[in-house]
Amino acid sequence: MASSRGSGLVALLRAGPPSLPPVPIVDPNAQQTFCPECGAPAPFRGPAISLVCEYCGSTIVRTGVDLRLVGKVSAIVDNGSPIILGSRGRYHGLPFEVAGRLQVSYSRGTWNEWFLTFADGTVGWLADAQGQYSIVRPKDPQIVAGRVPPFLQVAINAVLSVADVTAVVVDKRAAAYKGAEGILPFEAEPGMLFHGVDLRGFNGEFVSLDYGTSGDHQNPVPYLGESIDLLEVGLHPVRAFQGWRRPAPQAGGQP
Amino acid sequence: MAAHPPNAPAKLFREEAKTDAIQCLACGGPIQLRGFGAIERVACPYCGSELKPDDSGALQLLQQAQRAKRQSALQLGMRGNIDDTQWEIIGIVWRECEADGIVYPWQEFLLFNPYHGYRWLVFSMSDGHWTIGSSLPGAPKAHSGLGHKSVTFKKKKYKHFQTVGARVTYVEGEFPWQVHVGDFAVAHEYVAPPESISIEEANTAEGADVNFTGMRHIPGAAVWKAFEAPGSPPPTSGVGTVRPNPWKQGSRWTWLSFVGLAGLWVLATFFYVAARDTKVVLSEQGLPLAPYNKEIEIGSKGEKTTIDFRFEAIPLSNAWAYADVMLVSQEREEGIGFGVQAEEWHGVSGGEAWREGDPRQTVTFGGVPGGKYLLQIVPQAGQQRSKGAPDNLRLNIRMREDVVLTRYLVVPFLIILGFPILYFMLGAFYEGRRWSNSDYAGSS
Repeated sequence: MASSRGSGLVALLRAGPPSLPPVPIVDPNAQQTFCPECGAPAPFRGPAISLVCEYCGSTIVRTGVDLRLVGKVSAIVDNGSPIILGSRGRYHGLPFEVAGRLQVSYSRGTWNEWFLTFADGTVGWLADAQGQYSIVRPKDPQIVAGRVPPFLQVAINAVLSVADVTAVVVDKRAAAYKGAEGILPFEAEPGMLFHGVDLRGFNGEFVSLDYGTSGDHQNPVPYLGESIDLLEVGLHPVRAFQGWRRPAPQAGGQP
Repeated sequence: MAAHPPNAPAKLFREEAKTDAIQCLACGGPIQLRGFGAIERVACPYCGSELKPDDSGALQLLQQAQRAKRQSALQLGMRGNIDDTQWEIIGIVWRECEADGIVYPWQEFLLFNPYHGYRWLVFSMSDGHWTIGSSLPGAPKAHSGLGHKSVTFKKKKYKHFQTVGARVTYVEGEFPWQVHVGDFAVAHEYVAPPESISIEEANTAEGADVNFTGMRHIPGAAVWKAFEAPGSPPPTSGVGTVRPNPWKQGSRWTWLSFVGLAGLWVLATFFYVAARDTKVVLSEQGLPLAPYNKEIEIGSKGEKTTIDFRFEAIPLSNAWAYADVMLVSQEREEGIGFGVQAEEWHGVSGGEAWREGDPRQTVTFGGVPGGKYLLQIVPQAGQQRSKGAPDNLRLNIRMREDVVLTRYLVVPFLIILGFPILYFMLGAFYEGRRWSNSDYAGSS
């Protein structure tokens, strides 16, 4: 269920991958910016293109040094995720912070795509659907360009090769942006429909292909990663649930 | 810096997520909501009506129903510790498949922990066996081609057990996905006891769907203990699909102990053979075909020994020679009697030459008391073509004492080897019973 992270990232990556500048999670030199709607601090940082104001809920987009108000996104639905904005963890030893969330809905329900910023300035996504979690990282679209079928021709159960990973198509769907919080690396406009395909690899890999708004091309953005356990990546803090003891934070995170 | 923002920041979801209790919109029955915000469907335990939460979490009636509540093996709301994690039963689904006109029902319990997601605990009503599992973190690789269908996942091979059409017959509780009575899926089951992989394909209104689920056997008693369920678990019958083979579970130890015992056996054999002081008691060459008597002394008095007696008749050509041998103890008036036959047959049948028999035969006796004996040999001989004994027949005899008695070596070895063989056969028998319930019954 990972996908629909927006074609904005395609542009971001095509600008010259790997083009993401190695910026720290918190940039002390960043110019202070404020919400054009309510005047509250709007802490754009790192790869942030859009930000949802935590005071008034407006979506603000940064273009160069200018801030532009997109309007209010529909509120995020409480879909019971244990992850919260600002949670931290480690993936393969690299610390990350949950910097944003995109909530996506389709005919079978909603799921969350959590935007992760890593300590080395790279980004990733933590897909959170039906109690299953996976972390994926964007890869160069050139590794799949023209080598995978268009979204409309992808068949469930088909075996595809994505770079050196052989994987089975387990899900394909068109899903709509429902809401967002925190920062996102692209301009998130609610209601837009995005096409995504999920694959599971023979060696436990998790792959998703993000076709963006059109299903009729062979240039999706590939995302590669694997299923994870929230406690194994040392995610902390996590949300409290009535009647359940919050697990103690685990040191170290995933091996 | 802005003076004061208009509202306090709406930090989302920092407050505790709450459970809830509502009344069914159809029958008014009390419904406990324990699945928090992830729930897509709620089936009233009492009437089966389907409810769907809207964005605010308020339930809307989706489909009214009037079915009776069924008594499942475990109840909604029960909690239990499995694999060091606490789980709560939030949903129950009954499914069934049909094979050869027989319906096989099972119950699936959806286990939930807000930090670990979901697990399935499955109770097979037809044989009482339990399995537990979750979505497979990856995809099994299918092997096409000849031979038994199989899949591989993380270097482990799973053999195809059966393919069934599974239909939902009953639903109660909460689910993070849509589930309806009547939902149909084709389930392919691959086993590598105690684990299995289920590949389910469903065609829904939303399109095709494939799910990989990894399951493993869990004893009913462990389920009962985990959930502190009253009484005892339903009795099991037969061999479960993925219940571990008890005869194979210890096979590693069986073979290890076999290797150990076989090593001891080799050692014991070595010492036994080395300790033998084999001596020729009597050796005669070229005896005529006539009774023969001789006093001999075997071993030493008061000790038992093993003797062998070799009898050879030359020449034998389509003929036989038989020796009736008596060893009469001169001290104890006891005798040992035995016969030994040498023979040689040959001919041509169907264009092929054949040859049978051996003109030299040896017999071995253990437990012979040492002492003086009178050896009496009464030989006879005959031949195929003419009456009477063959001409010029000469007999060679030899008797030795303290020889190696082969059965002292063979019998222990067979006993040592017997255990792995027995375990192997019992294991194979168990697998046979398991597979007799599969799509391959009769062929495996």
